[in-house]
Amino acid sequence: MEQILKVEGLCRDYGRGTVTHAVDHVDFSVEKGEFVGIMGPSGSGKTTLLNCISTIDTPTAGHIWVEGKDITSLKQKQLSQFRRERLGFVFQDCNLLDTLTAFENIALALTIRKTPPQKVERLVQETAQLLEITDCLNKYPYQMSGGQQQRTAAARAIVTRPALILADEPTGALDSKSARLLLERFEVMNELCEATILMVTHDAFTASYCHRILFLRDGAVFAQLERGDLDRRDFFRRIIGVVTELGGDQNDVL
Amino acid sequence: MFSKLAVKNVGRSFRDYGVYFLTVAFGVCLFYVFNALETQSVIRYLAQHPRANIVGAIQQLIGILSVFVWVVLAFLILYASGFLVRRRSRELGTYLMLGMERWQVARLLLAETAVIALTALAVGLALGVVLSQALSLFTAGLFAVPMTYFAFSISLPAIGKTVLAFAAIFLLVMFYHAFTISRRKLIDLLRARRVNQELKVRSLGVSVVLFLVGCVLLAVAYTMLLTRGLLRVDELFWVMIGLGSLGTLLFFRALSGFLLRLCQTSKKLYYKNLNLFILRQFNANINTTYRSMTVICLMLLLAIGITATSVGLNNTVSQMADQTVPQDVELSVWPEEDGGTMDLPALLTAEGFDPEQQCSRWITFPMYQDENGRSYLLQTDYDAYAAAWGKEKADAFVEDWRIQMVSQETEELSVSRWYFLADYAGDRQEGEDAFLAAVSGLKDTGGYSYTTKLSTWMDLMGTKVLVLFIGLYLGVVFLVASAAVLALQQLSQAADSAQRYRVLSQLGVSRRMRGRSVDIQVFLAFFLPLALALVHAVVGMTAANAVIAEVGKVDAAASSAVTALLLVAVYGGYFLATCWGSRRLLKGG
Repeated sequence: MEQILKVEGLCRDYGRGTVTHAVDHVDFSVEKGEFVGIMGPSGSGKTTLLNCISTIDTPTAGHIWVEGKDITSLKQKQLSQFRRERLGFVFQDCNLLDTLTAFENIALALTIRKTPPQKVERLVQETAQLLEITDCLNKYPYQMSGGQQQRTAAARAIVTRPALILADEPTGALDSKSARLLLERFEVMNELCEATILMVTHDAFTASYCHRILFLRDGAVFAQLERGDLDRRDFFRRIIGVVTELGGDQNDVL
Repeated sequence: MFSKLAVKNVGRSFRDYGVYFLTVAFGVCLFYVFNALETQSVIRYLAQHPRANIVGAIQQLIGILSVFVWVVLAFLILYASGFLVRRRSRELGTYLMLGMERWQVARLLLAETAVIALTALAVGLALGVVLSQALSLFTAGLFAVPMTYFAFSISLPAIGKTVLAFAAIFLLVMFYHAFTISRRKLIDLLRARRVNQELKVRSLGVSVVLFLVGCVLLAVAYTMLLTRGLLRVDELFWVMIGLGSLGTLLFFRALSGFLLRLCQTSKKLYYKNLNLFILRQFNANINTTYRSMTVICLMLLLAIGITATSVGLNNTVSQMADQTVPQDVELSVWPEEDGGTMDLPALLTAEGFDPEQQCSRWITFPMYQDENGRSYLLQTDYDAYAAAWGKEKADAFVEDWRIQMVSQETEELSVSRWYFLADYAGDRQEGEDAFLAAVSGLKDTGGYSYTTKLSTWMDLMGTKVLVLFIGLYLGVVFLVASAAVLALQQLSQAADSAQRYRVLSQLGVSRRMRGRSVDIQVFLAFFLPLALALVHAVVGMTAANAVIAEVGKVDAAASSAVTALLLVAVYGGYFLATCWGSRRLLKGG
């Protein structure tokens, strides 16, 4: 299997004098087509780790390879290009542009990559179908429900066929039905388009859609769980099990 | 409790109120300076001049123009405060949600506006007084007005007028907001910042029709201006102004409706780089945009028109000085009894002005008249004139008075008056003083009249100074006003868009592309109104030049050059500063 992401000895410190190790020597890798979750209580370094991978933040030490390319050594200008061409983002607060319709929000991800204009409409329509948002393509973000907004953001992330999709608490602001809808779409994206997804969450239900889960505490990986052939419900119980077994911050994890 | 909340609110939302405050203070300052023109040393100098009635006429002109300036400022302030209320509507909505009554919220807004208005009025007036003095000093230096005419002065009538004018504007603003707040739905207030504006009529067909109607209205106004001329101020004149303004409004209204649709039809254009984002940004505030574009366009037209006309007129005036008075002195004396003989050089010498010594060249001759009042000149006198000043000037003299030439005196002709023409030898001012003393001593005449080059020149200089001064002054005022409004508007929009640019950055849009997007938006805001204003100005200038051409030669090249220079310096400067400021705002976010 082709390796999409490889993280080695990654550290991110904050502050001077009394240094906080937000991310402390993290190693892991993600294969092509995987759907990986990162779980952990608040302050465990999940978001910092994701920010480093998404090149929004720069690590203090260690390396990150995406498709064999060390992105920690890229210059500012190359970083923009890398984000534009190889990554897709889904944020908790979806970050859609309020002046653009859903269609245009998705199209923008293509136009800034200089996709040939005649291809844009077809690609957007296809992706919209995949995410079941064809009905609200001509609406502005404030005219859509939270779930529709988040699925539009997901469409924007995948329409460029990036190497890696990074999702930061995508279901954080959604009710359980909308969350389920979004996660099912993530599964479809993962299976049909072979999208590689790395998702940060603190919610066991959301995490149960992943193939593999890394548990983070105090900036370090302290457990890993594989779904294997398990049914999603069983996997959910396993996750709860791990969380309970490890005790301590169980309430934070849930 | 409300006044406390209001004062606290102003302090807290200072960043938001900053834009509004600046606009109002700037408007007050402008209005005062304009109305306090009487305190300018150039004007005071001219008031001492024999032709003081000019000053009265100017005061009247300023009275009329200041009404126009008032209207412009009222719109400007209404616009700025509307922007403010829109920015804060979420907060106002929260007050309503917490259970405040609508009239209480309206009152709160009134109190806040009053706090701002009073502060801005005071600051604006202080600025106005200082600026007016600085301008006075500057222009006094420019036009070589003696410094004795400069004194620190405050125009009380101007202050009174300014306070009254702005009190009226604030009342207007207050009622407008009280009205809108009481009518808006709570849900709209709470999500106002997220809702994009949309034109009421959205169909492309209607836009096209509106566009055509706008063009037709403009064409009608242009035709009226070109056929009727600029100077006939009657009902039709105001109809013409109205048609032109309405045409401009429709033009921009339709263009704003068009622009997005038109670009959307071309996929190649719309789906290229950030184009769709830029167009949507432009369209997000479309209702505000097309109105402000209309106002800006009309203000620019005034700025361009006034500047170009005054410079053109100024050059015409300069040329006139040389043509009207070819000699240093031209004296004509009517004999005490018809047909009497007069020896003007001898009479002048007796009064202390000896042409032989004090003039480099001179001639004297009689002018004859027949029974029908036609004028005649002896051929020999004409030859003497031509010998002294050249054939060209002699011909001009003959033509001006419609003189016919005769070879000798005849029975039918009698002397109507005697002429004395001369150029001074040596110092002109000394010659002029001696001549004026001598002329006032002339006795036993049937009356006399004279023109001297020096006094004519002084007169014309006065007019010239005035035309140029007022013209440039008004031109700069309108130019700065429109540029400042645009800058304020664009900068506040940039502040509103900071979040969008953060998202673009996360999506991987490079800094260069983001910067370009900002520049294009500022460019559209600055140059769409300018383009139409230039067309308006060309037509307007054609009409104005027709008026000038009646009194002198039109110097179109110089006036266009000066106007262009001014435009590039002020407007271009504001444009660049706004680009830079917007980029900085967005980089910081």
